[in-house]
Amino acid sequence: MTHTAIPCYCKPSDHLLKRSSLIAFLILVMACGTGAFAEDQLNNLPSSLPATHLLGFAGARNNSKGTLSIESDALQFKKKGKAAMQVKIASIHDLLLGDLSRQVGGVPVTLAKAAVPYSGGRAVSLFTHRKYDTLTLEYVDAEGGLHGAIFELKKGQAEGLRNELLAKGAQASNAGNEPTKQTAEASSENK
Amino acid sequence: MKTNRPALFVTTTVLLTLAIAQPARLSAESAAQWTVQVSKVNPGAVGLTPSFQVAIYENLLQELSKTKRFNGVLRDGDQKASNATDLLLLNTVVEKYTAGSETRRAVTTVTGATKLIVHTQLSTPDGKIILESTVHGNVRFMGGNLRATHNLARNIAKTIKKSSMPEPPSSVVTKAMNSTSSDGVVVVAFP
Repeated sequence: MTHTAIPCYCKPSDHLLKRSSLIAFLILVMACGTGAFAEDQLNNLPSSLPATHLLGFAGARNNSKGTLSIESDALQFKKKGKAAMQVKIASIHDLLLGDLSRQVGGVPVTLAKAAVPYSGGRAVSLFTHRKYDTLTLEYVDAEGGLHGAIFELKKGQAEGLRNELLAKGAQASNAGNEPTKQTAEASSENK
Repeated sequence: MKTNRPALFVTTTVLLTLAIAQPARLSAESAAQWTVQVSKVNPGAVGLTPSFQVAIYENLLQELSKTKRFNGVLRDGDQKASNATDLLLLNTVVEKYTAGSETRRAVTTVTGATKLIVHTQLSTPDGKIILESTVHGNVRFMGGNLRATHNLARNIAKTIKKSSMPEPPSSVVTKAMNSTSSDGVVVVAFP
Protein backbone atom coordinates (compact mmCIF):
# COMPACT_ATOMS: atom_id res chain seq x y z
CA MET A 1 0.00 0.00 0.00
CA THR A 2 1.35 3.35 -0.95
CA HIS A 3 0.85 6.54 0.93
CA THR A 4 1.53 10.01 -0.26
CA ALA A 5 3.76 11.84 2.09
CA ILE A 6 2.29 15.15 3.05
CA PRO A 7 4.54 17.60 4.81
CA CYS A 8 3.35 18.58 8.28
CA TYR A 9 2.98 22.29 7.32
CA CYS A 10 0.68 21.38 4.42
CA LYS A 11 -3.00 20.46 4.76
CA PRO A 12 -4.39 17.73 2.40
CA SER A 13 -6.79 20.29 0.82
CA ASP A 14 -3.79 22.50 -0.13
CA HIS A 15 -2.20 19.59 -1.96
CA LEU A 16 -5.38 18.97 -3.98
CA LEU A 17 -5.60 22.66 -4.81
CA LYS A 18 -2.03 22.64 -6.13
CA ARG A 19 -2.71 19.58 -8.24
CA SER A 20 -5.91 20.93 -9.79
CA SER A 21 -4.28 24.28 -10.58
CA LEU A 22 -1.43 22.40 -12.27
CA ILE A 23 -3.94 20.46 -14.40
CA ALA A 24 -5.75 23.68 -15.28
CA PHE A 25 -2.45 25.27 -16.28
CA LEU A 26 -1.57 22.30 -18.48
CA ILE A 27 -4.98 22.41 -20.17
CA LEU A 28 -4.50 26.13 -20.83
CA VAL A 29 -1.05 25.55 -22.35
CA MET A 30 -2.39 22.75 -24.54
CA ALA A 31 -5.32 24.87 -25.73
CA CYS A 32 -3.02 27.74 -26.64
CA GLY A 33 -0.69 25.35 -28.41
CA THR A 34 -3.52 23.82 -30.44
CA GLY A 35 -4.80 27.26 -31.43
CA ALA A 36 -1.36 28.40 -32.47
CA PHE A 37 -0.83 25.18 -34.44
CA ALA A 38 -4.14 25.61 -36.24
CA GLU A 39 -3.28 29.21 -37.10
CA ASP A 40 0.15 28.11 -38.23
CA GLN A 41 -1.41 25.49 -40.50
CA LEU A 42 -3.69 28.11 -42.02
CA ASN A 43 -0.82 30.48 -42.67
CA ASN A 44 1.42 27.78 -44.05
CA LEU A 45 -0.76 26.89 -47.03
CA PRO A 46 1.37 25.95 -49.99
CA SER A 47 2.04 28.95 -52.23
CA SER A 48 0.47 27.16 -55.19
CA LEU A 49 -2.00 24.32 -55.24
CA PRO A 50 -2.43 21.82 -58.05
CA ALA A 51 -5.92 22.33 -59.47
CA THR A 52 -8.07 21.45 -62.43
CA HIS A 53 -9.92 24.32 -64.03
CA LEU A 54 -13.37 22.98 -64.87
CA LEU A 55 -14.78 26.11 -66.49
CA GLY A 56 -15.12 29.87 -66.60
CA PHE A 57 -11.84 31.36 -65.34
CA ALA A 58 -10.44 34.33 -67.30
CA GLY A 59 -10.01 32.63 -70.65
CA ALA A 60 -8.42 29.41 -69.37
CA ARG A 61 -9.34 26.23 -71.24
CA ASN A 62 -11.98 24.02 -69.70
CA ASN A 63 -10.77 20.87 -67.89
CA SER A 64 -7.17 22.03 -67.94
CA LYS A 65 -4.72 21.16 -65.19
CA GLY A 66 -2.45 23.72 -63.62
CA THR A 67 -1.63 25.47 -60.38
CA LEU A 68 -3.77 27.90 -58.45
CA SER A 69 -2.00 30.52 -56.38
CA ILE A 70 -2.45 33.89 -54.76
CA GLU A 71 -0.08 36.52 -56.16
CA SER A 72 -0.25 39.78 -54.17
CA ASP A 73 -3.82 40.95 -54.87
CA ALA A 74 -4.80 38.44 -57.54
CA LEU A 75 -5.85 34.82 -57.82
CA GLN A 76 -3.76 33.21 -60.50
CA PHE A 77 -4.17 30.03 -62.52
CA LYS A 78 -1.11 28.85 -64.40
CA LYS A 79 -0.78 26.01 -66.84
CA LYS A 80 2.67 24.55 -67.24
CA GLY A 81 4.56 26.41 -69.94
CA LYS A 82 1.76 28.90 -70.57
CA ALA A 83 1.09 32.46 -69.46
CA ALA A 84 -0.74 32.82 -66.16
CA MET A 85 -4.33 34.00 -66.08
CA GLN A 86 -5.44 36.03 -63.12
CA VAL A 87 -8.38 37.75 -61.51
CA LYS A 88 -8.23 40.49 -58.87
CA ILE A 89 -9.24 39.16 -55.47
CA ALA A 90 -11.26 42.31 -54.80
CA SER A 91 -13.49 41.51 -57.80
CA ILE A 92 -14.48 38.13 -56.32
CA HIS A 93 -17.86 38.53 -54.70
CA ASP A 94 -18.75 34.95 -53.86
CA LEU A 95 -16.80 31.85 -52.92
CA LEU A 96 -18.45 28.51 -52.40
CA LEU A 97 -17.14 25.11 -51.51
CA GLY A 98 -18.43 21.78 -52.67
CA ASP A 99 -17.24 18.29 -53.31
CA LEU A 100 -17.64 15.85 -56.10
CA SER A 101 -16.76 12.26 -56.75
CA ARG A 102 -15.32 11.27 -60.11
CA GLN A 103 -14.26 8.09 -61.81
CA VAL A 104 -10.51 8.10 -62.32
CA GLY A 105 -8.31 6.53 -64.97
CA GLY A 106 -9.88 8.02 -68.06
CA VAL A 107 -10.21 6.10 -71.32
CA PRO A 108 -7.69 3.29 -70.53
CA VAL A 109 -9.52 2.29 -67.34
CA THR A 110 -12.91 2.58 -69.07
CA LEU A 111 -11.70 0.24 -71.84
CA ALA A 112 -10.21 -2.16 -69.30
CA LYS A 113 -13.52 -2.23 -67.43
CA ALA A 114 -15.38 -2.94 -70.63
CA ALA A 115 -13.01 -5.83 -71.37
CA VAL A 116 -13.73 -7.65 -68.11
CA PRO A 117 -16.10 -10.56 -68.87
CA TYR A 118 -19.60 -10.90 -67.40
CA SER A 119 -19.75 -7.13 -66.79
CA GLY A 120 -17.19 -7.50 -64.04
CA GLY A 121 -15.88 -4.05 -64.90
CA ARG A 122 -18.83 -2.56 -63.10
CA ALA A 123 -17.51 -3.86 -59.80
CA VAL A 124 -14.16 -2.24 -60.57
CA SER A 125 -15.98 1.12 -60.83
CA LEU A 126 -16.75 0.87 -57.14
CA PHE A 127 -13.06 1.34 -56.38
CA THR A 128 -11.95 3.62 -59.21
CA HIS A 129 -13.48 6.83 -57.96
CA ARG A 130 -11.96 9.66 -56.00
CA LYS A 131 -13.42 12.55 -54.06
CA TYR A 132 -12.39 16.11 -54.81
CA ASP A 133 -13.14 19.52 -53.39
CA THR A 134 -14.60 22.15 -55.67
CA LEU A 135 -14.13 25.87 -55.31
CA THR A 136 -16.78 27.90 -57.11
CA LEU A 137 -16.15 31.60 -57.43
CA GLU A 138 -18.14 34.43 -58.88
CA TYR A 139 -16.35 37.58 -59.97
CA VAL A 140 -17.04 40.66 -62.07
CA ASP A 141 -14.95 41.96 -64.96
CA ALA A 142 -13.99 45.57 -65.68
CA GLU A 143 -17.32 46.16 -67.46
CA GLY A 144 -19.41 44.77 -64.65
CA GLY A 145 -20.16 41.44 -66.34
CA LEU A 146 -20.63 38.49 -64.01
CA HIS A 147 -18.29 35.51 -64.42
CA GLY A 148 -18.37 32.16 -62.70
CA ALA A 149 -15.47 29.73 -62.40
CA ILE A 150 -15.14 26.25 -60.96
CA PHE A 151 -11.92 24.64 -59.81
CA GLU A 152 -11.35 21.08 -58.68
CA LEU A 153 -8.80 20.64 -55.89
CA LYS A 154 -7.52 17.78 -53.79
CA LYS A 155 -9.68 16.83 -50.84
CA GLY A 156 -9.24 19.27 -47.96
CA GLN A 157 -7.43 22.01 -49.88
CA ALA A 158 -10.32 24.18 -51.00
CA GLU A 159 -11.29 25.40 -47.55
CA GLY A 160 -7.79 26.72 -46.79
CA LEU A 161 -7.65 28.55 -50.10
CA ARG A 162 -11.11 29.99 -49.52
CA ASN A 163 -10.11 31.28 -46.09
CA GLU A 164 -6.97 32.82 -47.51
CA LEU A 165 -8.95 34.56 -50.26
CA LEU A 166 -11.43 35.85 -47.71
CA ALA A 167 -8.56 37.20 -45.60
CA LYS A 168 -7.21 39.03 -48.68
CA GLY A 169 -10.46 40.81 -49.41
CA ALA A 170 -12.64 38.45 -51.39
CA GLN A 171 -16.30 38.42 -50.45
CA ALA A 172 -18.55 35.49 -49.78
CA SER A 173 -22.29 35.42 -49.28
CA ASN A 174 -21.90 33.19 -46.20
CA ALA A 175 -18.47 34.30 -44.97
CA GLY A 176 -19.36 34.13 -41.29
CA ASN A 177 -20.90 30.70 -41.44
CA GLU A 178 -19.50 27.29 -42.01
CA PRO A 179 -18.54 26.86 -45.66
CA THR A 180 -21.33 25.60 -47.85
CA LYS A 181 -20.56 22.01 -48.69
CA GLN A 182 -22.51 20.34 -51.38
CA THR A 183 -22.44 16.62 -51.58
CA ALA A 184 -24.23 15.89 -54.80
CA GLU A 185 -23.97 12.14 -54.41
CA ALA A 186 -25.02 12.15 -50.79
CA SER A 187 -28.08 14.27 -51.52
CA SER A 188 -29.03 11.96 -54.35
CA GLU A 189 -28.69 8.92 -52.10
CA ASN A 190 -30.98 10.52 -49.54
CA LYS A 191 -33.76 10.75 -52.11
CA MET B 1 -27.98 53.36 -136.90
CA LYS B 2 -26.87 56.07 -134.51
CA THR B 3 -26.26 54.94 -130.94
CA ASN B 4 -26.53 57.27 -128.00
CA ARG B 5 -23.32 56.20 -126.26
CA PRO B 6 -23.47 58.46 -123.14
CA ALA B 7 -27.05 57.35 -122.42
CA LEU B 8 -26.10 53.71 -122.72
CA PHE B 9 -23.15 54.30 -120.40
CA VAL B 10 -25.29 55.97 -117.75
CA THR B 11 -27.97 53.25 -117.96
CA THR B 12 -25.36 50.54 -117.60
CA THR B 13 -23.80 52.32 -114.63
CA VAL B 14 -27.18 52.66 -112.91
CA LEU B 15 -28.05 49.01 -113.51
CA LEU B 16 -24.68 47.88 -112.21
CA THR B 17 -25.02 50.06 -109.13
CA LEU B 18 -28.45 48.61 -108.41
CA ALA B 19 -27.18 45.06 -108.94
CA ILE B 20 -24.34 45.62 -106.49
CA ALA B 21 -26.40 47.55 -103.94
CA GLN B 22 -29.30 45.08 -103.75
CA PRO B 23 -27.38 42.10 -102.27
CA ALA B 24 -25.59 44.44 -99.90
CA ARG B 25 -28.93 45.67 -98.61
CA LEU B 26 -30.15 42.10 -98.22
CA SER B 27 -27.07 41.04 -96.28
CA ALA B 28 -27.44 44.10 -94.05
CA GLU B 29 -31.00 43.01 -93.31
CA SER B 30 -30.00 39.45 -92.40
CA ALA B 31 -27.17 40.76 -90.23
CA ALA B 32 -29.59 42.92 -88.25
CA GLN B 33 -29.91 40.79 -85.14
CA TRP B 34 -30.75 40.96 -81.49
CA THR B 35 -28.22 41.21 -78.72
CA VAL B 36 -28.89 38.85 -75.83
CA GLN B 37 -28.01 39.35 -72.19
CA VAL B 38 -27.87 36.17 -70.12
CA SER B 39 -29.12 36.68 -66.57
CA LYS B 40 -27.76 34.77 -63.61
CA VAL B 41 -29.52 31.42 -63.28
CA ASN B 42 -32.30 31.39 -60.70
CA PRO B 43 -31.82 28.18 -58.66
CA GLY B 44 -35.48 28.09 -57.64
CA ALA B 45 -36.36 26.01 -54.61
CA VAL B 46 -34.80 22.74 -55.70
CA GLY B 47 -31.56 22.90 -53.72
CA LEU B 48 -29.34 23.32 -56.75
CA THR B 49 -25.64 23.36 -55.87
CA PRO B 50 -23.90 26.68 -56.65
CA SER B 51 -21.41 24.96 -58.94
CA PHE B 52 -24.31 23.80 -61.12
CA GLN B 53 -25.78 27.30 -61.11
CA VAL B 54 -22.48 28.78 -62.29
CA ALA B 55 -21.90 25.98 -64.82
CA ILE B 56 -25.33 26.48 -66.46
CA TYR B 57 -24.67 30.22 -66.74
CA GLU B 58 -21.20 29.84 -68.26
CA ASN B 59 -22.24 27.05 -70.62
CA LEU B 60 -25.21 29.12 -71.80
CA LEU B 61 -22.89 32.00 -72.71
CA GLN B 62 -20.68 29.63 -74.70
CA GLU B 63 -23.47 27.81 -76.50
CA LEU B 64 -25.39 30.97 -77.40
CA SER B 65 -22.24 32.46 -78.94
CA LYS B 66 -21.87 29.32 -81.06
CA THR B 67 -25.37 29.69 -82.58
CA LYS B 68 -24.37 32.97 -84.33
CA ARG B 69 -28.00 33.98 -84.01
CA PHE B 70 -27.16 37.07 -81.98
CA ASN B 71 -25.14 40.20 -82.58
CA GLY B 72 -23.61 39.81 -79.17
CA VAL B 73 -23.97 37.71 -76.05
CA LEU B 74 -23.62 39.80 -72.90
CA ARG B 75 -23.10 38.75 -69.31
CA ASP B 76 -25.32 39.64 -66.39
CA GLY B 77 -24.51 43.18 -65.22
CA ASP B 78 -22.52 44.10 -68.32
CA GLN B 79 -22.59 47.87 -68.82
CA LYS B 80 -22.69 47.45 -72.61
CA ALA B 81 -26.29 46.31 -72.26
CA SER B 82 -27.41 49.86 -71.43
CA ASN B 83 -26.24 51.04 -74.87
CA ALA B 84 -27.46 48.02 -76.83
CA THR B 85 -30.43 48.88 -79.06
CA ASP B 86 -32.06 45.52 -79.77
CA LEU B 87 -31.64 43.78 -76.46
CA LEU B 88 -33.21 40.54 -75.28
CA LEU B 89 -32.93 39.12 -71.77
CA LEU B 90 -32.57 35.40 -71.20
CA ASN B 91 -33.94 34.32 -67.83
CA THR B 92 -33.54 30.74 -66.63
CA VAL B 93 -35.30 29.25 -63.62
CA VAL B 94 -34.46 25.74 -62.44
CA GLU B 95 -37.64 23.74 -61.96
CA LYS B 96 -36.31 20.28 -61.14
CA TYR B 97 -32.92 18.93 -60.20
CA THR B 98 -31.99 15.34 -59.50
CA ALA B 99 -28.44 15.00 -58.26
CA GLY B 100 -26.89 11.90 -59.77
CA SER B 101 -23.76 9.89 -59.14
CA GLU B 102 -21.08 9.02 -61.65
CA THR B 103 -20.14 5.92 -59.65
CA ARG B 104 -23.72 4.67 -59.55
CA ARG B 105 -24.01 5.21 -63.29
CA ALA B 106 -20.79 3.31 -63.86
CA VAL B 107 -21.83 0.40 -61.63
CA THR B 108 -25.51 0.02 -62.48
CA THR B 109 -25.94 1.87 -65.82
CA VAL B 110 -29.64 2.42 -65.16
CA THR B 111 -29.52 4.51 -61.98
CA GLY B 112 -27.61 7.60 -60.88
CA ALA B 113 -28.64 9.90 -63.72
CA THR B 114 -28.25 13.64 -63.16
CA LYS B 115 -31.34 15.45 -64.40
CA LEU B 116 -32.12 19.12 -64.84
CA ILE B 117 -35.33 20.76 -66.00
CA VAL B 118 -35.38 24.52 -66.47
CA HIS B 119 -37.89 27.09 -67.61
CA THR B 120 -36.27 29.54 -69.96
CA GLN B 121 -37.67 32.85 -71.14
CA LEU B 122 -36.42 35.26 -73.76
CA SER B 123 -37.94 38.71 -73.31
CA THR B 124 -37.39 42.34 -74.19
CA PRO B 125 -36.30 44.79 -71.44
CA ASP B 126 -39.88 46.11 -71.24
CA GLY B 127 -41.18 42.62 -70.42
CA LYS B 128 -42.54 41.42 -73.75
CA ILE B 129 -41.94 37.67 -73.97
CA ILE B 130 -40.41 36.57 -77.26
CA LEU B 131 -39.82 32.91 -76.50
CA GLU B 132 -40.65 30.62 -73.62
CA SER B 133 -39.93 26.94 -73.17
CA THR B 134 -39.09 24.16 -70.76
CA VAL B 135 -35.79 22.44 -71.49
CA HIS B 136 -34.18 19.25 -70.15
CA GLY B 137 -30.53 18.42 -69.61
CA ASN B 138 -29.44 14.98 -68.39
CA VAL B 139 -26.43 12.74 -67.98
CA ARG B 140 -27.49 9.09 -68.06
CA PHE B 141 -24.42 7.02 -68.89
CA MET B 142 -21.00 8.53 -69.49
CA GLY B 143 -19.49 11.67 -68.03
CA GLY B 144 -19.42 13.66 -64.83
CA ASN B 145 -22.41 15.28 -63.17
CA LEU B 146 -21.55 18.76 -64.46
CA ARG B 147 -21.99 17.48 -68.01
CA ALA B 148 -25.74 17.82 -67.45
CA THR B 149 -25.28 21.60 -67.40
CA HIS B 150 -23.48 21.49 -70.75
CA ASN B 151 -26.22 19.34 -72.29
CA LEU B 152 -28.86 21.66 -70.88
CA ALA B 153 -27.19 24.79 -72.28
CA ARG B 154 -26.82 23.11 -75.68
CA ASN B 155 -30.52 22.21 -75.69
CA ILE B 156 -31.51 25.78 -74.78
CA ALA B 157 -29.30 27.13 -77.59
CA LYS B 158 -30.86 24.62 -80.02
CA THR B 159 -34.38 25.68 -79.01
CA ILE B 160 -33.51 29.35 -79.58
CA LYS B 161 -31.83 28.58 -82.90
CA LYS B 162 -34.86 26.67 -84.19
CA SER B 163 -37.38 29.30 -83.10
CA SER B 164 -38.49 32.11 -85.35
CA MET B 165 -37.84 35.38 -83.61
CA PRO B 166 -39.38 38.71 -84.67
CA GLU B 167 -37.15 41.25 -86.32
CA PRO B 168 -35.52 43.75 -84.01
CA PRO B 169 -37.25 47.19 -83.89
CA SER B 170 -34.24 49.05 -85.32
CA SER B 171 -34.16 46.70 -88.30
CA VAL B 172 -37.89 47.31 -88.98
CA VAL B 173 -37.31 51.08 -88.93
CA THR B 174 -34.31 50.77 -91.27
CA LYS B 175 -36.33 48.61 -93.63
CA ALA B 176 -39.18 51.14 -93.72
CA MET B 177 -36.75 53.96 -94.41
CA ASN B 178 -35.07 51.98 -97.18
CA SER B 179 -38.37 51.16 -98.87
CA THR B 180 -39.52 54.82 -98.86
CA SER B 181 -36.17 56.06 -100.15
CA SER B 182 -35.99 53.43 -102.89
CA ASP B 183 -39.41 54.54 -104.23
CA GLY B 184 -38.38 57.88 -105.64
CA VAL B 185 -34.67 58.36 -105.59
CA VAL B 186 -33.54 56.67 -108.79
CA VAL B 187 -32.62 59.51 -111.08
CA VAL B 188 -31.28 58.76 -114.50
CA ALA B 189 -29.89 61.73 -116.32
CA PHE B 190 -29.75 61.56 -120.07
CA PRO B 191 -27.59 64.03 -121.95
